[in-house]
Amino acid sequence: MPQFEQVSVFGSLIFWSVISFGILFFVLKKFAFPPILEALEMREKKIRDDIEDSERLKNEAQKIKVELEETLKAAHGKAETIIQLAHDESKKAQEKSLQETEAKVRQIQKDAEQEVLNSRSKLLQEVRNYAAALTIASTEKFLKKALDDNDKKKLVEESIEQVVKELEKRQRN
Amino acid sequence: MESPLHHFEVHNVITIPPIAGLDISINNAVVAMWVGLAIVAGSFILAVSRGISPIPGKLQSILEISLEFIRSMVYEFIGEEEGKRYVPFITSLFLFILACNLIGLIPGSYTITSQLAVTAAFAVGIFFLTLVIGFGKHGMHFLGILVPPGVPKIMIPLMVPIEIISMLARPISLAVRLFANMTAGHTVLAVLFGLAMTGPLWLGWLPFGFTIVINGLEIAIAFIQAYIFTTLTCVYIGDVIKLH
Repeated sequence: MPQFEQVSVFGSLIFWSVISFGILFFVLKKFAFPPILEALEMREKKIRDDIEDSERLKNEAQKIKVELEETLKAAHGKAETIIQLAHDESKKAQEKSLQETEAKVRQIQKDAEQEVLNSRSKLLQEVRNYAAALTIASTEKFLKKALDDNDKKKLVEESIEQVVKELEKRQRN
Repeated sequence: MESPLHHFEVHNVITIPPIAGLDISINNAVVAMWVGLAIVAGSFILAVSRGISPIPGKLQSILEISLEFIRSMVYEFIGEEEGKRYVPFITSLFLFILACNLIGLIPGSYTITSQLAVTAAFAVGIFFLTLVIGFGKHGMHFLGILVPPGVPKIMIPLMVPIEIISMLARPISLAVRLFANMTAGHTVLAVLFGLAMTGPLWLGWLPFGFTIVINGLEIAIAFIQAYIFTTLTCVYIGDVIKLH
């Protein structure tokens, strides 16, 4: 085997391989590895930091989400309370308005009844006066005799009473 | 048919007179190694000179992946705190062996890692490096590595020689494993290619087809052997740092 037979080249092979390795080691260690290793470490750090940041942001987002949900829930509750209050208020206003209207209607009815009563009394008085005058005139004419004031009055009252009774009787019927 | 081991022969390219009795002539194996190392170093220097970007390009990605791969291996076997200082050395070692393994797959090139003298030099160097690290870190307590934990005292005289043999076997296995794998792979390729070239055309395509398959396998082996060599280096350094 040449590897065992060519003993004379061993020195050269060992010398140059060791020297070459030494130079390669020196060149790479001095010029190549530091920037590459630095870049690797920086990238690792950046990735680690980014992951930590994203974790932190995720936690913050989760916290904000929970807070927002709570706020939303509270807002919903508040809105429902406001709606309920408005509902109650409108119901109250409606009831008040109804009561006022009813009272007004009742007042109008009462006023109308009073007016009817007044008109009736007035009408009855007019009827009475008219009937009295009519009765006196017709009685004077009929009897052809003059009566004194007392007899006139008595007669008139009797006639009126009779007429009123007759009217009331008719009204009832 | 030419010997399949013929291509393991080393030829001087530039002859340099011996210095202090040491022949340092530049041969084809050294030139092939330099080409491989020039590609590795050139790639790194090109990537760095372009500027290391936070969003890496193709070349930067490949280099980062290789560096990250070795770094995670070092951290696994040595530990992050202690391992940081060894990352450049282990990565350089991995790239050196990988470049030497791969450059040898180019026809006409040479795999310097198929020379036992070279793999042994690195393995012995790593062995002494582990001793230096061990004694440097633990002082004389480092000798405790020869006594596995939990061994009864009566067994210590037996265990210490076994552990010494085990320690000495480490560089031997490290050197032989890489050398043998590279030699075997290239020998198989040479045999198959020799068959393809010498056989008739109607038969020659069969071993030639195999050379393509084996070449693919050899690329994988080049990576695996570089990985094993550096992993074991990490394990040995980790052992002497942690002391069991």
